[in-house]
Amino acid sequence: MKNRLRVLRAEREWSQADLAERLEVSRQSVNAIETGKYDPSLPLAFKLARLFETTIEAIFSDEK
Amino acid sequence: MICKTSNPAVRRYLRRLLGTMLLYAASLAVAIVVFVHFRPTGVPAYALAVLPAIALIGVLVVFGLYLAEEKDEFQRLIGVQSMLCGIGGTLAVTTVWGFLESFVHAPHMNPIHDFAIFWVFVGISLPVLQARYK
Repeated sequence: MKNRLRVLRAEREWSQADLAERLEVSRQSVNAIETGKYDPSLPLAFKLARLFETTIEAIFSDEK
Repeated sequence: MICKTSNPAVRRYLRRLLGTMLLYAASLAVAIVVFVHFRPTGVPAYALAVLPAIALIGVLVVFGLYLAEEKDEFQRLIGVQSMLCGIGGTLAVTTVWGFLESFVHAPHMNPIHDFAIFWVFVGISLPVLQARYK
């Protein structure tokens, strides 16, 4: 699954560690999601959407 | 999972693991001393023989508690996958060894080693899995 996490994070000038702290997950988790190697659960996707004040669809897309 | 961690679930896991391992060492020492010097029989002998195993089973419970308490779903996934590698690796090794024992008279492997084999596979798979997601 593709995502815009890196872009959204860059817009706010957050490091992976900053985002991880806000999500209460490890930096490795943020990296795995960002690189598309791990798809987050629905609750974590909602948490991301709330954090970036957008929708899940605006962050993730199912195109390959 | 490293020793210097801010993750409370990992800290609790390491504390509990240390306690369980100390309990294992103590129960094993007691069992050895009692069996060597007092040669117990019957129910006390069975109970004493099982004591170190109960402490080792506690290690599995401790890992289960870690998985239940870990709030980071990705770290939970890594933990579960490493456990699956441990189970698969142990089954593979003991199955192969079982056939070797049956057909080519390989020396008998005490099932007590299964636990160590399991954790060796878990220990090997953890960094491999973590590297896979980098």
